[in-house]
Amino acid sequence: MRFTFDEDQLLAAQSLRDLLDDHCTGADLRRAAEAADGDEYRLACSTRRQRLSELGLATALVSEAQGGLGLKLTDIVLLAEEAGRAALPEPLIETLGVALPLLAELAASDERARAAFAAAMVDESVRVLWSDSSGILDADHARFVVLGEGTQSLELHDIHAGESTAIKSVDPLRRLTRWQSSNGSLIAVINGAEAERAWQLARARARVLAAGQLLGLAERMTSLAVAYALDRKQFGKAIGVNQAVKHQLANVQIKIEFARPVIYAAAAAAESTLVMDKAMRVQRDVRVAHAFVAACDASDLAARTAIQVHGAMGYSWELDLQFYAKRAWALAGLHGGRSGCFRVLHEMLMTAGIEVGPDRVFDNPMPEGA
Amino acid sequence: MPIDLNYSESQRALRREIREWLQVHVPKKPLPSYDTAEGFAAHREWERTLYSGRWSMVTWPVEYGGRALDLIEWLIFEEEYYRADAPGRVNQNGVFLFGPTLMEYGTPEQRARFLPRLASGEDIWAQVWSEPQAGSDLAALRTTAVRGGDHYVVNGHKIWSTRAVFADWGFGLFRTDPTSERHRGLSYIVFPLDLPGVQVRGIPQLDGESGFAEIFFENARIPVENLVGAEGQGWSIAMATAGFERGLMLRSPARFQRTAQRLLSLACRAELRGDPSIEATVTQCWMDAQAYALSTYMTASRLIAGGSIGAEASLNKVFWSELDLTMHRAAIQLLTARAELRGSVTGDDASELEEVTRWLDGFMFSLAGPIYAGANEIQRNIIAERVLGMPKG
Repeated sequence: MRFTFDEDQLLAAQSLRDLLDDHCTGADLRRAAEAADGDEYRLACSTRRQRLSELGLATALVSEAQGGLGLKLTDIVLLAEEAGRAALPEPLIETLGVALPLLAELAASDERARAAFAAAMVDESVRVLWSDSSGILDADHARFVVLGEGTQSLELHDIHAGESTAIKSVDPLRRLTRWQSSNGSLIAVINGAEAERAWQLARARARVLAAGQLLGLAERMTSLAVAYALDRKQFGKAIGVNQAVKHQLANVQIKIEFARPVIYAAAAAAESTLVMDKAMRVQRDVRVAHAFVAACDASDLAARTAIQVHGAMGYSWELDLQFYAKRAWALAGLHGGRSGCFRVLHEMLMTAGIEVGPDRVFDNPMPEGA
Repeated sequence: MPIDLNYSESQRALRREIREWLQVHVPKKPLPSYDTAEGFAAHREWERTLYSGRWSMVTWPVEYGGRALDLIEWLIFEEEYYRADAPGRVNQNGVFLFGPTLMEYGTPEQRARFLPRLASGEDIWAQVWSEPQAGSDLAALRTTAVRGGDHYVVNGHKIWSTRAVFADWGFGLFRTDPTSERHRGLSYIVFPLDLPGVQVRGIPQLDGESGFAEIFFENARIPVENLVGAEGQGWSIAMATAGFERGLMLRSPARFQRTAQRLLSLACRAELRGDPSIEATVTQCWMDAQAYALSTYMTASRLIAGGSIGAEASLNKVFWSELDLTMHRAAIQLLTARAELRGSVTGDDASELEEVTRWLDGFMFSLAGPIYAGANEIQRNIIAERVLGMPKG
């Protein structure tokens, strides 16, 4: 039993943070968000893209046997937190943590998927289109997309052969494409229990890593609000001396600090790629759903409070806070959203009857016969 | 080493050992409230039983009757303790507050004199800090302890001293320099509660029992060897004690997980099903109890690795106290009209009434949680100022 990150994990997170401190500032985000066209946008992001690709993290979760770094989800969750803290526009976390490992699993059983995987290992050009999401992220840098419904059938498509329409997100830095398959776009269909297992694992990873980003976003919004409360003077003193302001921000910090361990523990529960029995799946799904709900609640309160602390400035386009708040709003609706995840937990507790109690922190088995 | 959320074989063996011991020794019927003379005696007896199994102070060094368990092992002990519905710890303030303070600041003589008797339940300890004009603003305290030869002569009035009605010893905070102000000139001094010149008067609580007391000092003479640490060092020692209190050990997660478990089983009873808003609260309570447990495992792991706990202890105190209140309120709402019933009725309804009374007593006590050990308003100030770096008001 050891619930702390090791030096390597912390160092990796720190190096991503350093890079993003330099290349993903509020001013950088604003330049991208206010770009007049695609060329200007790409120009605003090109240095960062280059540096991120030099970090060589894209293949992190792919096994060493398949040419990747062979890391685990607990190695990645802190990176997600850093990406969230910076409101990183590129789908680095979604690609390295979800899409590429999913394609790697499909490549193990399908030859055409293997060819796509080999290409995507080089240029990170694979995305996932969830049946409950609005579109594909950053599609113009992608070639492959995996579709699935949580059923026993996954499809791998050529993005360029399908029909793409740009759509707008509340977050100006989430570049979404609505996408439809066409006759020529299908590359492979992967069926069976393995496909279903891979899809469920991808969903669990996606929820954990969205939760990690939400945690980082909440931390950033809180630090922006604290800085403003120290700087802004009314009645001759900083507004941060007032308990009405302090206590709101203390409440946000409490939400953050009691979401954090839930998210990290969910990363540990969802990192096994082994075939899971029902008990392990239940355990994973409960932990992951809990993490997503806790992260949504922390980031929602952080956004709402940070805007309030900024007063009228908080409602202005001029303030960089908007980029973090809008990312949090967008992420909180993904993967079933807070309500979908809460329902998973609620049904496990109130209907399925998983065992709970003081000795069940790390283990919630189903009662016998269930 | 990376994160590993599996218990080791020795941790599993420890859990089995604790579970088996508790199965044999935990009283089959709940003890009467320790805020009555009869219940206090029964709980003192339970402390002796725990000590006889070397389970009274599991994290203490072996030489003082402990097992030198680390914090993860302490969590396992607490989980089994609450799982077994073992009696509340009447000596809690001694075990978790005074004991650790004495180990850090006491002389070898003081440790030898007080710790073994504390561990065995021979001495039950009460905290004697607050005064009528010094609650949240503790540094405003005025009770003086003036040195005269080999004694301090103590005069003043202390209040809200938990367990003091039946306890044996108090650890107090006094002004040894009468000309001093605020947190300077204070000293940490221990004394027997039956000392001449010390009068203890119980204060009935919301539930009618005298769980706390006020204490009057009139020229009470306390020997100077009862001073802990140096004269004038009282404030920093008291703050270290407060750190233990708000920190990890005052309220282990197991306590709230047990309540969450009881609440869930109450909410799942067929005749109480069907209110979606309370049921959502019940689910949220389980989540929060789980979050508190995971957070404590993370803190324990960090401390074992050499880290420390500081102002972030205030986050814990706010979180568990508000969770406890929410859980009990949900139970009261689920019980509707039955929730007003109290007492020891015999007959067919007895066991149900016992359950209802337990929720009602727990509800009233949970209202104290956001007040004791530093009111939550003060905790939020600490979070804002020392965790977030906001300016003092």
